[in-house]
Amino acid sequence: MDIRIQGVSRRFLAHGKVIPALDGVSLDIPARSIFTLLGPSGCGKTTLLRCIVGLDAPDEGEIRIGGEVVFSQAQGIFVPPEKRGLGMVFQTYAIWPHMSVFQNVAYPLEVRGLSRDEIRKRVGRVLEFVQLSGFESRPATRLSGGQQQRVALARALVAEPRVILFDEPLSNLDAKLREETRKELRAFLTRLQITAVYVTHDRTEALSLSDRIAVMKDGRVLEVGTPREVYFHCGSRFVADFIGRANLIAGRIRGRDKDLALVDSEIGPLRCAAREGLSPGAAVTVCLRPENLRLLPAAGQGELNRLRGRIETLLFVGEAWEGEISVGAKRLLVQLPAASELREGNEIDLGFVPREAVLLAP
Amino acid sequence: MRKSFLSPGTGENRRPLTFGLLVLVGGLTVCPVVLLLLGSLTEGLGAFGRLTLAKYRAAYADPGFAAILYNTFVFTVGSATVCTALAFFLAYLNTRTNLPGKVLFRILSVVPMMIPHILFCVSWVLLLNPSNGLLNLLLREALGLSASPFNIYTLPGMILVEALLDLPIAYLVLAPALSAFDATLEESSHVCGASRWHTFFRVTLPVLRPAVLAAFILVIVRSLASFAVPSVIGIPGRIYVLASHIYRLVATGFSPDYGQAAAVGTSALAASIVLVVLYRRLTASSERFVTVSGRGYRPAIIELKRAKIPLLAVVGLLCFVWIVLPVLVLGYVSLLPYSMIPGEKAFALMSLKNWRLVLADPISRLSLRNSLLLGIGGAVLGMVLSFFVSWVIVRVRSTAAGILESLSFLSFSFPGIVIGVGFLWFFVLTPLYGTLWALLIGYIATYLPYGIRPLTSALVQIHSHLEESSRVCGAGPLTTLRRIVFPLLVPGIVSGWILMATMFVRELSLSVVLSRPGTEVLAVQILRFSEDGLWGRLAALGIVMILISTALVVIAGLFGRRSLRAFGLEAS
Repeated sequence: MDIRIQGVSRRFLAHGKVIPALDGVSLDIPARSIFTLLGPSGCGKTTLLRCIVGLDAPDEGEIRIGGEVVFSQAQGIFVPPEKRGLGMVFQTYAIWPHMSVFQNVAYPLEVRGLSRDEIRKRVGRVLEFVQLSGFESRPATRLSGGQQQRVALARALVAEPRVILFDEPLSNLDAKLREETRKELRAFLTRLQITAVYVTHDRTEALSLSDRIAVMKDGRVLEVGTPREVYFHCGSRFVADFIGRANLIAGRIRGRDKDLALVDSEIGPLRCAAREGLSPGAAVTVCLRPENLRLLPAAGQGELNRLRGRIETLLFVGEAWEGEISVGAKRLLVQLPAASELREGNEIDLGFVPREAVLLAP
Repeated sequence: MRKSFLSPGTGENRRPLTFGLLVLVGGLTVCPVVLLLLGSLTEGLGAFGRLTLAKYRAAYADPGFAAILYNTFVFTVGSATVCTALAFFLAYLNTRTNLPGKVLFRILSVVPMMIPHILFCVSWVLLLNPSNGLLNLLLREALGLSASPFNIYTLPGMILVEALLDLPIAYLVLAPALSAFDATLEESSHVCGASRWHTFFRVTLPVLRPAVLAAFILVIVRSLASFAVPSVIGIPGRIYVLASHIYRLVATGFSPDYGQAAAVGTSALAASIVLVVLYRRLTASSERFVTVSGRGYRPAIIELKRAKIPLLAVVGLLCFVWIVLPVLVLGYVSLLPYSMIPGEKAFALMSLKNWRLVLADPISRLSLRNSLLLGIGGAVLGMVLSFFVSWVIVRVRSTAAGILESLSFLSFSFPGIVIGVGFLWFFVLTPLYGTLWALLIGYIATYLPYGIRPLTSALVQIHSHLEESSRVCGAGPLTTLRRIVFPLLVPGIVSGWILMATMFVRELSLSVVLSRPGTEVLAVQILRFSEDGLWGRLAALGIVMILISTALVVIAGLFGRRSLRAFGLEAS
């Protein structure tokens, strides 16, 4: 079931000021894929999710789910949440404490008026799916965080919704469990062939879980793409910085050499993969990811993009060295092989492949 | 900006519910006030006609009025002072010292719900009245005195009894403030070289000042509204305060003057509203002022050492005076033909005659039936209204919901007898006059905050996601209220219901104005017995009343605890 969002705005009044939580958002969420809304807190991702599910209503715009208009300001249509046929996993899980696991999961079927036998059959099936068979009569308050999360997932899935929505469902789990659950969730959702909309502020979660990501900021969508597209070919400084660790280097285009752009930057001349629409003289930002900066032999000559710098800080994190190198007045984040012999204060040579440096607007 | 046609944050229209409740609650609380004002400006009950200030002139130019104001001032401020001091002492002992017998303190804060105020007053009259008070008789015989050493029918007598009656309220305001007190403030004073007493007066008291002031003001409001003490103790002693003065104007003599009563009532109401506004402001700021640090500080517990036993004796004595003595005195008197000190003669004369008379008395039986009906049924209706009002206050959060909140707490400041006069002006215009419905409406309007408060505080504990997930699961708003909100609120609903039902069963000050032949209620019947000096019958009926209140508290308490366990919420 695909979701089409067109020109959706939502404003809140706080302390007498109008705050635009959503500012003309348009998005196409394709069917049977995991779509993530990623952004820092306050970017409007949760508001957008609540508008899709019907717990909030936009001030402007239109939302269609599977071709059906569920909200339209122009036509005065608002379908209440209970009529939208969706499933949702809340950040707090929202497990009802006065009910058992079975009662929690059976609730969506009960309010739809299914027969008892049918309810028992379907609840049994979905509990097996989330690996909670045998927990039926357990009071919902006697569950661990991970189990609560699965009950919430089972409850969202049991009525076979057209779309399932997740509002930061992993943020209440500890780090190790979060990683496991993320893997499981990806497997679940792929197996179910269901449309899923997922809200998070965690870039690792977004990159590893999603088929497509929309990066949001201040109530707008900045970029939409597959995780690799967003990571490697991001179009703005904000996204580059938000989606991963990045060195952002200011510069100006000097010229072009076939498909390489020559950039005069604050750390010297650099060669980067050219990008359409950037002519000589244009101010740019070069985005270099720490893992793309490689250690070069000290005596080497004639290589592209050779940078000489001094190790300012160095941390051994197990799988690598993480540190900061000063090149001129600029400090660059680096990630270097754990096996190299490095010490703070050392002078080292670094290099990078032109196609791994991304040119951004300044 | 265009106003959303949907209320904020919900995505659906909750306006009809909010506005419906606004009209209902507004009608209940504003209407008697408006009619009180209108009534004070007119000629007589039911005949509005031309507006006139004649009633104000008559009321305030009365030569006795200055004395009434003086009495009211001494009575309210006096009982507030005694009560706050006593409550502070008890709260300090409970929260800051290692005094054993903490269960006594819990009793002190629950039991007053079971003993109606009027019976408490009567039992003190039975003990300390100058002609045949039991304690007076005992002391006269023991010490060979010719006159009674105590006279309850005085201002100090009124102050003492009122202070004891309001003690639980003041205690409940002070105890949380004291237990949230950050002991490091005191410790740093000690480190600076100050003694314990110096620290207490220079640090502890000033920091707690907002809470102490709040308790003080609350007791003033309570004693201004109090009718039991002024009627049972004040009137026989010819000491009139505003409440009993209003009662004298409407309920005694041959020509009740409702206009003049309304004129007097407006000033009592105005004073009360001002005080309640002040109280709410103080409690709001005390939350800022009193340092609830949440950093895990536990108040330093003071070792009492040698003072432990005497202090425990004081608390025990207070419990005895407060709970055991009234019931004992009433039980004793209910078995006797007239007041006499316990002894051989008294035991020889004991019989169940008073009980037989009361239980056969048609008016007493009617009042019992009416009070039970109003208590149980009225509290159910009151809680239904409170449920919806609380939900709108906590969940909708629009401007209209804010107004609803203020309106629903307005009646907290209503002195019962004053608002009773306002309601009377209203009911004579309707066919409700002289029916139980009139009492029911008056009760619910006046005691609405007692139902709303436990519910709002329970509702804010319930995360809105619990309701929203039910909606996403396919349940409509009403199903969500029934299957999610209601079950989770049961503990709050039960405690609100007990509070309302016990209030309704013992209601006096509103009822003395609104009750008419056929709609007698227990407390009014007790007042009649006390005016006629029929102490034996009064005591018998009073014991029945205490039993009803106790049964309500016990049954509801049991049910509440069972439902808590069923939901597995007990531990949390």
